[in-house]
Amino acid sequence: MRTRLQRLRLSVTPQRVLAVLFLLVLGYLVVVPLGVMLQETFIVHPMERFQIPGSMPGDYTLAHWQRTFVGENSYAFFYRPLINTLIISLGLAFLALAIGGTLAWLVVRTDLPFKGLISNAAIIPYVMPSWTLALAWITLFKNQRIGGTPGIFTALTGISTPDWFAYGLFPITITLALHYFPFGFMLIGGALRNIDAQLEESAELLGASRATILRRVVIPLVLPAIFSTFLLTFSRGLGTFGTPAFLGGPVREFVLSTTLYANLIGQRPGIGYLAATVMIALGVLVLYMDHRIIGTRRSFVTISGKGARAGLVALGRWRWLIAGAVLTFIFGVIAVPIVALAIDTVMLRPGIYAWSNFSLHYWIGEASLRIGLGTGEPGILRNPQLMNALGNTMQLAVLVALICGVLGMLIGYTVVRLRGSLISRLLDQLSFLPYLMPSIALGSIFLAMFAVPRGPIPSLYGTFWLLVIACVVSYLPYAVKAGISAMMQVGPELEEAAIMSGASWWTRMRRVLFPVQKSTYFSGMLLPFISVTRELSLLILLVTPSTQLATTITLRYTDRGWYPYTNGMVLLLVIIVISSTVLSRRLMKTDLAKGLGG
Amino acid sequence: MPSRRTFVAALLALLLALVSANAFAQAEDWAAVEAAAQQEGKLMVYSTTSRTATAAQNFQALTGIEVEVVRLGEQDLIQRAYQESRAGVNSVDMIVVEDWVAARELLAATGYFVNYVPPTAQALFAPRHQDPLVLGFINRIFGFNTDKHPDHDPFVSVWDLTTPEYRGRVMIRDVGITGEHQNALTEWVRRADELEAAYERRFGEPLVMTEANAGLEWIKRFLQNDPIIMTSDTRIAEAVGAAGQSDPPYGMFYVYSKHRDIPLQDLRLRDSRQIDPTIGYYYPIVLQLSASAPNPNAAKVFMEYLTTLEGFAPWADSPGVYTPNPNQVPFEGDMPFWWWEDRLWYYDLDFAAQTRGIVLDTWLKYAQR
Repeated sequence: MRTRLQRLRLSVTPQRVLAVLFLLVLGYLVVVPLGVMLQETFIVHPMERFQIPGSMPGDYTLAHWQRTFVGENSYAFFYRPLINTLIISLGLAFLALAIGGTLAWLVVRTDLPFKGLISNAAIIPYVMPSWTLALAWITLFKNQRIGGTPGIFTALTGISTPDWFAYGLFPITITLALHYFPFGFMLIGGALRNIDAQLEESAELLGASRATILRRVVIPLVLPAIFSTFLLTFSRGLGTFGTPAFLGGPVREFVLSTTLYANLIGQRPGIGYLAATVMIALGVLVLYMDHRIIGTRRSFVTISGKGARAGLVALGRWRWLIAGAVLTFIFGVIAVPIVALAIDTVMLRPGIYAWSNFSLHYWIGEASLRIGLGTGEPGILRNPQLMNALGNTMQLAVLVALICGVLGMLIGYTVVRLRGSLISRLLDQLSFLPYLMPSIALGSIFLAMFAVPRGPIPSLYGTFWLLVIACVVSYLPYAVKAGISAMMQVGPELEEAAIMSGASWWTRMRRVLFPVQKSTYFSGMLLPFISVTRELSLLILLVTPSTQLATTITLRYTDRGWYPYTNGMVLLLVIIVISSTVLSRRLMKTDLAKGLGG
Repeated sequence: MPSRRTFVAALLALLLALVSANAFAQAEDWAAVEAAAQQEGKLMVYSTTSRTATAAQNFQALTGIEVEVVRLGEQDLIQRAYQESRAGVNSVDMIVVEDWVAARELLAATGYFVNYVPPTAQALFAPRHQDPLVLGFINRIFGFNTDKHPDHDPFVSVWDLTTPEYRGRVMIRDVGITGEHQNALTEWVRRADELEAAYERRFGEPLVMTEANAGLEWIKRFLQNDPIIMTSDTRIAEAVGAAGQSDPPYGMFYVYSKHRDIPLQDLRLRDSRQIDPTIGYYYPIVLQLSASAPNPNAAKVFMEYLTTLEGFAPWADSPGVYTPNPNQVPFEGDMPFWWWEDRLWYYDLDFAAQTRGIVLDTWLKYAQR
């Protein structure tokens, strides 16, 4: 009797309790929205009834599925946008890998100068909203097709860019890759850094050539990072809407997210959510492949402790040239959009780039109906509503980052400690699913879920906490990835030793596990922090006047074409995010690379 | 005979009595509404137009009644109010909503929002602008660059846009993401006969169609003529109107209010006023009261305010936006709304709701290159 009780007590370990708890919470916050969305694809909605003869709103139907997959126009409605989406996602993933991987190799494994500067700056493209690059692309390369003032490239060279270069799949892929390559840089950089040089040295002793070492030793070790980069960037390519709509429209190349938006705006959510379901399914497919191919090897990289550092490849006389090229590239990608945004905020009349048109009106001007665009709005810095919204955004970002960080650490701990069990796999994958949900769908479902009290959960409608929950669920994947990789690098021996000396679970977490991987956890908070500052579609349905955010309040200016205000707000956010990134690096020794599980 | 005259007189007297009694009842009722409004809490308004916030500030200064305005996109507003109605959240008092075709189906048909006609609207608005109560109308028009066409309007017929001359030169905001465009094009289906006749007038031969009607046929041919699909009306107006272009594009269905920026941005932009059979469309911004509003009287008083010239002032600072209030003086250089109402197309709400999906499908089918 007594032994059975003891056995039971032994089996109730903290990680098991946590595992069950997380499964319940995540199940509610992730599986329910997924289920709701899937259910919607089988239901007739009010405006859909006109196209489904004899149906009433709320009826069950297979019409959406039929229309999408086997209908008369399914090629135009679904398959063509799907093909475009796949082209963009694949192209984006490979480009992000190529650019990020090359940069990572140069920084980690060669004697390139300016490494610190390069690795700091290489993350900034992700800090900027992705549409800033799309806007910069149009400003630089637009041709006569979309009229207006000529693109800068054409103005300088007199050469008119071809349409395929200026608009459509090509620039969409390029600009998204330029936005997301930091993922590749961080992940692959992290993996390369972790490779024990002794492995390479042993291979060399055994007579392997450089190529063989790369092929047989380095690549297999970096493979998990490569797949993770692929997964993260590919999935982002599936769901992104702004850039494809903006750059694809002029040449009428559309993607799956266009199908989603057009049908939501057309009040046909059944068809729209089906497009979203396909996006999620594609993401899950890649996630599954990732697990199948490298799932068993993942331990490879992480168990290698800090061995000797491999010798750096000497770039010889090329090193300055390469450093110059790399810096030019990175600063081009950062500076061009930032400068383009900044210039727009100080031009009194948009599009007229002359010194006489220079003005700080949109920053510090008084409200006026006669100056510039005649908006009747005070300048950004003296506009209390804008400043208040900016404050809300920062509050939300910090709170979400902290919660994500703690949850990521605990989930990571649970997943790693229960490694190999079904529950661990479930938790791991469940926490990644929100990454694949289109945020516009997630926002609407959260509104429906939390608008009224349900069981023990009070109505969170209109509260700041609803925003917090939505963001935490949405960005948890980053934090969990960081948490898992951090925990992987800490062998169980440390914790076992602590148990031997009688430390409680709480003490172990607080005194042992957290401190040794502190910087990774902080890094895991940084990505949610950055992402919250520019989230719009997830939160637009959930904000109220008292919880207005920088992005939601800026809409009123975008709305009326007052881009100096819109751009000024984006610029402010970018400055705040970059400075907090730099600050946190200084204070916490955080490294964004580790935030992605590098 | 006398009996007949007496009867008519009696009838007239009765009518008069009824009307005055009604007016009296209204006036008395209204004073009570205003008094009750002062006792209520902060008004919550969802609005698709950001100027409602300005109007709310003015209103608050005037009446002391506090108003919170949440600005949402047209689809977001409908979605949010719809989800709230289904969940039984009653926090919003009134909405300032566009895409009335969809809003009517999702929000009014269910009884969650009801129409209300405040005194000024009752006295001054045409009956068709009272239900649903219209805050204002927005024009969407066709425009061209006056550097290229200094003397005359280049468009004769909407079918011009399907000819080689305009291949790759016409800009339109994506119909897929613009609910009002979808509504407006249903009218091209409803009045397909007129489009068909216009084709014959333009080309002297009957229209040969592969689509079900001339409206859908136009959408197909327009999309096959390589139009440029944009995401913002502002950028369309700027692109069409920018100075110094040798081959400027043309704008279709962008909001006329962008013409406010012509002097500010030195745009060479004019709207087309003789296209056969339509020079664009107008659509309403609608005011609706929540059936379970926490502050119904305050909402009514705010609605009343918005129908007065003073309340409408934040919208009256550009062309292309019109209150149904007939006392409004048009924006400088603009025509009064009745002038536009005669020339622009509107849409039939029922027909639009039924046909909108077909229009969107035709658009999606041919939009993809």
